[in-house]
Amino acid sequence: MHCLFPCILAIANGLSPIWEVEHMLEAVELRKVFKGKTAVDNVSLYLDEGESVGLLGPNGAGKSTTISMISSLLTPNSGDVRLNGASIVSKPQLIRQVLGVVPQEIALYEALSAYENLKFFGRIYRLKGKELEVKIQEVLEMVGLKDRQKELIKSYSGGMKRRINIAAALLHDPKIVIMDEPTVGIDPQSRSHILETVRQLNREKGTTVLYTSHYMEEVEQLCSRVYIMDHGRIIASGTTDELRRILSSEDTLLLQLDKQSHELANELRNLSPVRQVEETENGLKLIVAKQNQFLSAVVQAAERHQVQLINIHVQTPSLEDVFLHLTGRTLRD
Amino acid sequence: MNPIFLAQWMKDKRSPLLILSFCGLSILATLLFGFGIDSQMKISVFKAPGMETRQAEAWLHLLNKGETIKFVIQDEDQARSEVREGRTDAAVQLMENDYRIIAAIDNPNVQLVERHVHSVFVEELRLRAAEKFADDVGTFRREMAQYQGDPPLVLNLRTSEGDELIEYNMSLQLLFTFSLFLAMFTVGYKINSISMEKVAGIWSRIILSPVSKFEMYTGHLMYSSLVGFLQISAVFVLFNFVFGLDLGFRFGMLILIAGIYTLSIVAMSMLLTGILKTPEQFNMVFPSAIPVMPLLSGAYMPPGTITNKFLLGISEIFPLKHALDALVAVAIYDAGWQEVFLSIAKLCIIGVICMGVGINLMERRRR
Repeated sequence: MHCLFPCILAIANGLSPIWEVEHMLEAVELRKVFKGKTAVDNVSLYLDEGESVGLLGPNGAGKSTTISMISSLLTPNSGDVRLNGASIVSKPQLIRQVLGVVPQEIALYEALSAYENLKFFGRIYRLKGKELEVKIQEVLEMVGLKDRQKELIKSYSGGMKRRINIAAALLHDPKIVIMDEPTVGIDPQSRSHILETVRQLNREKGTTVLYTSHYMEEVEQLCSRVYIMDHGRIIASGTTDELRRILSSEDTLLLQLDKQSHELANELRNLSPVRQVEETENGLKLIVAKQNQFLSAVVQAAERHQVQLINIHVQTPSLEDVFLHLTGRTLRD
Repeated sequence: MNPIFLAQWMKDKRSPLLILSFCGLSILATLLFGFGIDSQMKISVFKAPGMETRQAEAWLHLLNKGETIKFVIQDEDQARSEVREGRTDAAVQLMENDYRIIAAIDNPNVQLVERHVHSVFVEELRLRAAEKFADDVGTFRREMAQYQGDPPLVLNLRTSEGDELIEYNMSLQLLFTFSLFLAMFTVGYKINSISMEKVAGIWSRIILSPVSKFEMYTGHLMYSSLVGFLQISAVFVLFNFVFGLDLGFRFGMLILIAGIYTLSIVAMSMLLTGILKTPEQFNMVFPSAIPVMPLLSGAYMPPGTITNKFLLGISEIFPLKHALDALVAVAIYDAGWQEVFLSIAKLCIIGVICMGVGINLMERRRR
């Protein structure tokens, strides 16, 4: 319902709905069925030039299938993908010329060095000689692995492999880069390096980025617009501020307690303004309707159950909260 | 196509163990089995209780006139224990006018020994029976030896075309068998790297590049073919020019047949890769299925050993059988293109069908 909201708003304001405006890249009502199971159902999204757009959703939400269709690796059962208005379903080579894809898996030759891998991926994009050499050094510099280029991929850490995985997609200077969960299972240093690389790509080079992840904080940091997917459908879309506004009628309270109490959690769950109660490591997380009298009710309940309230924090809603609100579960469920 | 081909080469250059080990195995297996089959079979003989040593030695002398089996006098207990423990197929107990074969199981070697001993005893006992009617035993024996040395009727063996019968070289057949068989492994594992690249996501990356599907497959298939072909050729060259094994007068033709065979096993491996869903499945099924091929094709046995029509029918679908037929015909019987045309045509048909179906199955799985 929420994905329709901006469209209804646009029509009410006399504007065309999003699928009628020509965008750089747009997916229109994509649908993909595998052995009778619908993996992607009626997904529409768009990217404008120079934008950084997030595609957010838990594992199995259909993100990878969606980007496989957008990148022309999979043919949709119905719907279309258009690049500057031209369908790429019938002419996949249109998008392949301008696209760089960073797959979720480490798609590199483990037995070769980083330099040899990049040389191979450069060659398949018809780069050669000095041009290829310059591009290899440029992308190695970008991902911060120039000094370790001669080492074999199999000797790299998971984070370093992911950085080379990204570098391989940037050799041919793509106008659009699609990144499928590029930070899964890596160390914080490599993660921050990757996020910085994405920022650099988008801001300094003007590359359009479609970034899929199930880490809310990454998408919040990197993307100006976000699509949230679950069970193969887009359940919400908009800028991060627009999405947060979905929860404008609600507050998130973080209660730090001296001990865990299921009885307190149950009592709070029964209070009328409380929409959700989640037990955290050192207390409770509540999503409640905005109400002045609520805090006193919480304090009284804590006293009744002989639980000491160490701290009460009212949190601005995050995309994680938005997702929780929309689906009733967290992204990592 | 070049980047794909070069990437495979770079990988093998980094870790050439697979190719080198299969090359080494072909050479080792041929040396071990191919050059071991010419040695004489050794059979122990011992005399029955009460038999004189002189009589036993006379029989031993007669038994050793043949070239295929070497009979040696042995202590009875030791000879029996060797048979019991399976260290020898049979032993022979000699009696004055008779013999006993001591064997634990019945096998072709035991039958061979039995036939030989039987013929020696029958001939000698006939002579002994005849010499009773002779005036002078010494003269009779001399005349008989002369008669047997220059018999009035000589049987001459010729081929159906009237040519001299060529002795079949089993070592050569085993050289071909092991070379072709082990090349199947090298080629199979190389082709499986397509599946591995698909699983790793490299294949998808290449699809998104300007490299066409045709170039992708050609790069992989050409590399696998070249590796398999070089492996077989290297073994042939080594045995022909270094070990001095006579590979006939048409070495070039042998190399060409090896090339055609390699293409057909590349196609067969593609078919298996297409049928099996994952590289792990391939790694499990391939090494189990491949060793059956030379067995069913009778590649380890002299020609004509397998007579079962069902087995012969199945072996028709294996490239190994047809390549072996062609190589043996060229190397041993000096056959020309016309004689081996049928085998080569079958290899080509197997290659075309397997390649077509294999690529189709692989592509279908992607959609």
